[in-house]
Amino acid sequence: MSEGTSALVSTGWMWIAVRVHGSHERHLHKPLSWFGSYLRWLPVVCISWITAVYAIRHGIWSAAGRTYEHPSWGFVVVYESLKLTYGAGLWLGVLFGIASYGQWQLQWQRLLRTQEALAEAQLARLQGQLRPHFLFNALNTVSALMHTDVARADRLVAALGDLLRISLRSNEHEMTPLAEELRTLGLYAGIMLERFRDRVTLDWQTDQALLATPVPALLLQPLLENVFKHGVEPTVAHVRITVSVRREAGSVELVIGNSGFMLAPEQADGVGLRNCRERLSIIYGNTASLLVHNEGDGVAARVLIPLPDTIQ
Amino acid sequence: MIRVVIADDEAPAREKLERWVAEQPDVTVVGSAEDGLSAAQHIDQLHPDLAFLDIQMPTLSGIQVAAQLEPSSAPLIVFVTAFDEHAVKAFEINAVDYLLKPYDLDRFTHTMQRVRQRLHASQSGAMAVAVGRTQSAGCERLLVPEGERLQLIDAASVEWLQADDNYVHVHTAARTYLLRRTLQDLLSQLGDQRFVRVHKSTAVNLGFVGSLTPLFKGDYEIHLRNGRILRLSRRYRDALFTRMGQ
Repeated sequence: MSEGTSALVSTGWMWIAVRVHGSHERHLHKPLSWFGSYLRWLPVVCISWITAVYAIRHGIWSAAGRTYEHPSWGFVVVYESLKLTYGAGLWLGVLFGIASYGQWQLQWQRLLRTQEALAEAQLARLQGQLRPHFLFNALNTVSALMHTDVARADRLVAALGDLLRISLRSNEHEMTPLAEELRTLGLYAGIMLERFRDRVTLDWQTDQALLATPVPALLLQPLLENVFKHGVEPTVAHVRITVSVRREAGSVELVIGNSGFMLAPEQADGVGLRNCRERLSIIYGNTASLLVHNEGDGVAARVLIPLPDTIQ
Repeated sequence: MIRVVIADDEAPAREKLERWVAEQPDVTVVGSAEDGLSAAQHIDQLHPDLAFLDIQMPTLSGIQVAAQLEPSSAPLIVFVTAFDEHAVKAFEINAVDYLLKPYDLDRFTHTMQRVRQRLHASQSGAMAVAVGRTQSAGCERLLVPEGERLQLIDAASVEWLQADDNYVHVHTAARTYLLRRTLQDLLSQLGDQRFVRVHKSTAVNLGFVGSLTPLFKGDYEIHLRNGRILRLSRRYRDALFTRMGQ
């Protein structure tokens, strides 16, 4: 009979422990605080458990016309508290095991997904950078320029070489000073401007104070590629491109804007944009952003990257 | 003299071709275009013997330009492209001339050699036109003359076609265009997805057919949605019924 009441009340507490385990999951990676977050309730559990169990026992016994005999209250409190601590420890151990396993599985799946996405992104980025169409056309421009302006052809070959070297060298996670990123963008732009001579003008507006800011390497090139692909190549009209870098509150704002063509409503993002977003979220979580929208008579791709504390 | 039109949207690429073409003793450049539409215009007005068409161009790709030409009168065409795996595969199968960027003087000279042989054998650009048509599936747009200029109209907006000797009247809701083409050739360009022949001299856009009324001897009247009535001759009846039944 007395075991029955203990089992009943214990089960109640165990059930509550299971019900609340969701709110303790964020402590799972630190077992001490996980156990701590439960065990701080132990005094309450002990007192209420002893009160409940002994009240029930006294009630049942007196209902049967008998008196429930037990050692002194001091002994009962200490003895039952020790037993409860032991029992709670065991039960929490089991719960911890189950919750950890669930969490581990979740994270494992998340990791697999991330790895897949990364591999895809890497592939897309490689394809994007070394787009054969760009390379062959650039080479053809060089071969055309050689006959009219050897010095310019020479500069173009050097720019192409630099660009290839940078593309091959940099990896997904590499950060580079903004000055270097802009120089790389300039190499790419220089080649494209030579190809589409007379059809494009490019303006740079750069806040010199920000040039040392670290940014993800080769983040901007796909955005400029988009401008050429969707804005310059399909039209004979003149296109004005602006690359601007300025400080916006605690962030660096990088904008690549163009005149002359607008986004179609609900136009889906291409591989280039998806890839940029992916990289930003891997590196900065949700503190960086990339927005592409119609602005004035053209499109602006706007990247916001948080400034590191040292520069702020 | 071999008269040449050159079309490429990138100035350096165009200048390179112009330079090398001009260096050939028996060749002269009669026109140079920066986009597909003006390339088509040049070909239409200047009747060159040879056209170098870049594939990636604004308004119309080189392949689409070729698809719009009339095979028997089309100039010889040399496609020029930087990288277009699928197109190149099609060229190889059909032995159409093409230049891959970047190309050197030897390769260019070789191409010119072949062009001379073909011109000598009085070949036209029919092969290139055929390749262009298969590569630009069904031709969603049609090049029509608008005064002195050419313009593109949506093939879906064409209601019906009417042959008139060596010309075709292209009827849209807004107006009628006169093309110097045969009906058969125009139909082969437009593909058989949308248009079907109903008479020796007429073809309709299936999307504009309203109803059919039987006449004597198996002929029918076709009532178009715009109110116009066309004759469906027995000869083309079964083909139309099969198409409408689908």
